[in-house]
Amino acid sequence: MGKSSLVSATAVNPIGDVRRSDLLSWITTTDHKRIGILYLLTSLAYFGIAGILAMLIRTQLARPENTFVTSHEYAQLFTLHGTAMIFLFVAPFALGLANFLIPLQIGAADMAFPRLNATSYWLFFFGGLVVFLGAATNEGAAASGWSAYPPLSEIKVSTGLGQDLWIVGVFLVSVATILTSINFVTTVFIYRAPGMTMWRIPIFTWEMVATSLLIFMAFPSLAATLLLLFVDRHFGGHAFDPAYGGDPVLWQHLFWFFGHPEVYVMILPYFGVISEIIPVFSRKPIFGYTGLVLAAFAIAGLSMGVWAHHMFTTGFVNNPFFSFVSFLIAVPTGVKFFNWIATMWRGSITFETPMLFAIGFLLNFLIGGITGVMISSPPIDYQAHDSYFVVAHFHYVLGGGSLFAIFAALFFWWPKMFGVKLNERLGTWCFWLLFIGFNVTFLPMHFMGIFGMPRRVFTYAAGGPLPILNLIATCGSYVMCVGVLLFVYNAIVSARARDPVPNDPWGANSLEWWTTSPPPEHNFDSLPPIRSERPVYDAR
Amino acid sequence: MASDWFVFALAASAVAIVVFGLIVFPLVRWRRRPGDGEPAQFRNNYPLEIGWTAVPLVIVAGLFAYTYRAEARVDAVSADPAVVVNVSAYRWGWRFAYRGGPTVGGSSDAPPIFGERASPPQLVLPLGETTRINLTALDVNHGFWVPDFLFKRDAIAGETTSFDLDPDKLGTFLGRCSSFCGLEHARMIFTVRVVTPSAFSQWERARS
Repeated sequence: MGKSSLVSATAVNPIGDVRRSDLLSWITTTDHKRIGILYLLTSLAYFGIAGILAMLIRTQLARPENTFVTSHEYAQLFTLHGTAMIFLFVAPFALGLANFLIPLQIGAADMAFPRLNATSYWLFFFGGLVVFLGAATNEGAAASGWSAYPPLSEIKVSTGLGQDLWIVGVFLVSVATILTSINFVTTVFIYRAPGMTMWRIPIFTWEMVATSLLIFMAFPSLAATLLLLFVDRHFGGHAFDPAYGGDPVLWQHLFWFFGHPEVYVMILPYFGVISEIIPVFSRKPIFGYTGLVLAAFAIAGLSMGVWAHHMFTTGFVNNPFFSFVSFLIAVPTGVKFFNWIATMWRGSITFETPMLFAIGFLLNFLIGGITGVMISSPPIDYQAHDSYFVVAHFHYVLGGGSLFAIFAALFFWWPKMFGVKLNERLGTWCFWLLFIGFNVTFLPMHFMGIFGMPRRVFTYAAGGPLPILNLIATCGSYVMCVGVLLFVYNAIVSARARDPVPNDPWGANSLEWWTTSPPPEHNFDSLPPIRSERPVYDAR
Repeated sequence: MASDWFVFALAASAVAIVVFGLIVFPLVRWRRRPGDGEPAQFRNNYPLEIGWTAVPLVIVAGLFAYTYRAEARVDAVSADPAVVVNVSAYRWGWRFAYRGGPTVGGSSDAPPIFGERASPPQLVLPLGETTRINLTALDVNHGFWVPDFLFKRDAIAGETTSFDLDPDKLGTFLGRCSSFCGLEHARMIFTVRVVTPSAFSQWERARS
């Protein structure tokens, strides 16, 4: 690769040293890299739990009239699966990655508020535990879905402590997220290295600025709404209880005012990941840097005006308005797609594991995006809403999209984080198992929805096309499970191998590849001149 | 309606095939080969970028125009419906109260649950005539969904929402709750039987 000149003389710090360092220093750390890694590993652990719940769900649905779990157990499974994937994995993983990367990408020594950063992590860590602890209570964990619509989630119906623990846990996570977003924006605006103008910061960092602004606007609505529900349940609030003049539709407005921007909180960071990876393996600069940044802010802005497309079937919202704005989001998203394609155009493309996952992201997210445009149309949504068509749609966005970008990020930045490279051969197998498994699982779900299978059902009748479609989906989910386990195995064998990696193992461009792998506590011994968004390329 | 699904499926497939091709083509055409040097480092092409912003804008504008008309058609309500039915959804059953006619199904005072699975409550509709549905939920939110009609409407606790059904084919269709409502959500079903107007009058007289 000809990058040997970039291997620093300072000692490389392989993963084994991480294991030797004492636990207390990790618990008390305010180093953004360690907090980032804690965030990543914690969110991956929650992903593991949410994945096991998904396997139980698919096992129950493998056959019609199955009795593998009861109806009440099933309701807890899908509630915790959705809550964990959304609040405890896909969004926090991005926060962890950004924690690790933002100071490195802008040439800073740490985040603006290191102690606040540690506070965020621990609020997130315990928030997740509180949500799961519901499973240990008498009536079990929360069982009203990740969107917890009242009156179902009111105390008259959901009498158990699990629902309260869910409210408190998700509230803690939402506070953590708000604090972190303040930290990110301040860091990017104040702590950039000399020469690192705003128009030279890497796309990933830009996407995190847009994400943080979305979090500012959306998450306070979530936190307030959760508190209202808690007041309803325990202090006679009646905000959402129609028996006392409350309004269940109000919950939907407040929840989705958070909930749809949240979708973009869970995807913009991964647009950033893809925008970092594709140029490296195409050996070209990112195409249309300015367009990508503007598209990110266009998506963020529009996403604040689409919440009621989750409510087309209520009959209480202005469907044409929310339909139109939802359609519009396809335009900046399309701009991003074309920019990525143009980045690959006339490049010199190789297919290392991060690039494979990035391509998987493009293909899967394309399907999720297109079905998203379809259900932006109320007459289509009248059939698709609350059906498996929507389940398929958002899994293509968050599973086929975000999850594939997460694996791309793990393979890409793993050497920078831990000083060891993941095995490429195992990585390629991991990709194909996940890619095939994912599509076998979720493609049939579009048809299940059109044929009339509602979401959140613990069983379905024999006869018709549903049994075979469900069996196919379950088989696909087991293939995905093997792929994930293979990643865990890869992480273990790669750590054992302890082959030191150079500063810039991929021939990448942004500042984090200038320093050692892993970086020293202060991040940089020196910085190259920063004259473009590719300072490491310029110095090469 | 099925024609709306057809239009959108067609548009979706066309876009998917074009973009899929645009993604896969460079992967094949410009994969790195031994001896390749550094490719050209171009980063912008403003006319192209304006073009790929404008073209999707035109496509979604067209889809929205179509949607606007389709929704007006689907959501249209008659000033003078032939039949009016007050539909109440509750955990976990349905009650269909025909204005000036019979009431079918249970009530929330006497939860039916499993017994109804074998013989779910039936909504009888006259073919080719407009039936107004006034939908509400008695406890938590539910959803009134008849997959064969490609239509659903949420039943919100404490609120009433109205829509028209204009069935255009005879037969018996499965209906179900679409919004998660608790333990028996999966089995909260009903049937819709569409009959000729004369058969409907007979049925209504017999049940009253």
